[in-house]
Amino acid sequence: MTSVNRFARISFWVILIGYFLLPMLAMARFAFQTIPSFLLTTDNFFQGWGLGSLAVAFQDAGVIKSTILSLQLCLATILLTFLVLVPLTTFVEVSAPQLKPWLTGATVATWLVPPVALVVGVAATFREVFPGFLVSPFALTFFYSLWTLPFTYRAIDGQLRLIGAKNLFEAAQSVGCGPILFFFKVILPNLKSSLYISATLIFASVLGEFTFASLLLKQTMPVYLWSFQASQTRAGFALALVVMVATALILGFAVARMRRRGLNFSATGI
Amino acid sequence: MWSFPPAAILNNAMKKIRKFAPALIVAAPFVILMSVFLVWPTLTTIEKAFIHDDEFSFFNMARAMSGTYRDSFILTAQLSFITSIIGGGIGLLMAILLRTLPVESKSRTLADSWSAVASQLGGLPLAFAFIALLGTQGILTKILEAIGIDLVELGFSLTGLAGWALVYLYFQIPLMFLIMTPAVTSLRSSWFESATSMGASSWQFWRAVGIPILLPTIVTGFVLLFVNSFSAYATAYALSTGAGQLIPLQIRFILQGNVITGEDELGFAIVTWALILLALSLVAVTLLQRRVSRWTEQ
Repeated sequence: MTSVNRFARISFWVILIGYFLLPMLAMARFAFQTIPSFLLTTDNFFQGWGLGSLAVAFQDAGVIKSTILSLQLCLATILLTFLVLVPLTTFVEVSAPQLKPWLTGATVATWLVPPVALVVGVAATFREVFPGFLVSPFALTFFYSLWTLPFTYRAIDGQLRLIGAKNLFEAAQSVGCGPILFFFKVILPNLKSSLYISATLIFASVLGEFTFASLLLKQTMPVYLWSFQASQTRAGFALALVVMVATALILGFAVARMRRRGLNFSATGI
Repeated sequence: MWSFPPAAILNNAMKKIRKFAPALIVAAPFVILMSVFLVWPTLTTIEKAFIHDDEFSFFNMARAMSGTYRDSFILTAQLSFITSIIGGGIGLLMAILLRTLPVESKSRTLADSWSAVASQLGGLPLAFAFIALLGTQGILTKILEAIGIDLVELGFSLTGLAGWALVYLYFQIPLMFLIMTPAVTSLRSSWFESATSMGASSWQFWRAVGIPILLPTIVTGFVLLFVNSFSAYATAYALSTGAGQLIPLQIRFILQGNVITGEDELGFAIVTWALILLALSLVAVTLLQRRVSRWTEQ
């Protein structure tokens, strides 16, 4: 009985690990081996490997241009999110805790309207009222900031509670420190690690975002990647793999760091 | 003398403004961001879904639920249901099996980081990976062909329901794991010990104690997985070039072809239906949780 149980358990893990690893390995083989799959045999399996496709991708002017745009969008979204969220979350934690359920609810509400649905409304409203607004790719910044709110809010709010912002504020007040000085001298330095984590999460999300950019016709890196792989399939797949591995490493690093600091990471916002 | 009462009112008002000014200043950017970029577009979409020929009407909403669009809703719901049941089941099982790992251990951190990462991996790269593995020229397709299994003959294709489901599970399983892990970890090990000391098998413990206690979280997990699959866009887009039958792709089709009069109204109606479905499922979660928590208290 137990051996059957053990066998079932081991096969469960083997199948699962296979399921999660094989697509990545297949993608790597396709990107870095020049032999097409129908000519592949056990004899030539170790031939034709190389990073040439990656060189092709990184020499493409469109790849460079769209990557720069995506990186700029990451930076803009990080700045906007910090500007919107950090003072407000601190204020609510320190002086208006009764507003906290509202703030939490509002940040999670962004997930009630998925990007593909929101973009229809965006096209309808902004094209009628401010036709110029959607011309610039930086219009995406506002939607990206909204879309990442559930993560970033949780990271910042968790850290504020962890450092005991409320008690710190009372202590600061008793020695005559005003709220503005308190925010810059006490809160910001103490929030450094959670700001760093939020920035990483935004970076990883924005770098791979496809829905908004594609539907609003902005040439960010993922959108360009789609047209690029139509003509340069192997280079496109190599680039996608690199982006995916980089994103996974960045995210994994941020999550491990969050766990070490006792913050709970939940992608669902629940 | 007559100016005294207005001055007092003014003074009072100034005091109030001074009291609330910091709150207004810190809250304003957030409120503007939410209302201009989320609430306004959403309400406009819903409003426009009910307007046809400049009048209030259910014409668009009815059209969005008929013919090919109705088929799309059914197909998308099927895909979401299948992937939330299978993905939810496997994710739950993983959380239960990994329950005994200590929170500080390396493998636990690895499992948690993996689930956080993989649940967010969607989009083009994931679709590419599966195309390289199981597409018509995919390496596994060729290997299976060599040993006499023809996937196409078996009716499997990455552009069909089974294929989509297989790809979607890649992010659905870790998402369920991510949702379930905190709840499973919080089950007290003393309950498990007292059950086993009375002779209950591990299976009996989970059936009679563990699963009923976890039920609210499990139900929430299934619904979130359903919603997640229903609104996935990039993966669906990459797997079915151009003519997709899933709802997110129908929305795209209408959005990009809205020069034809009346078609954009249809897009608003489809989005409104999707929002209604999402809102209903989240309301259902809240109600179910309340009911389930009543059961578990008894």
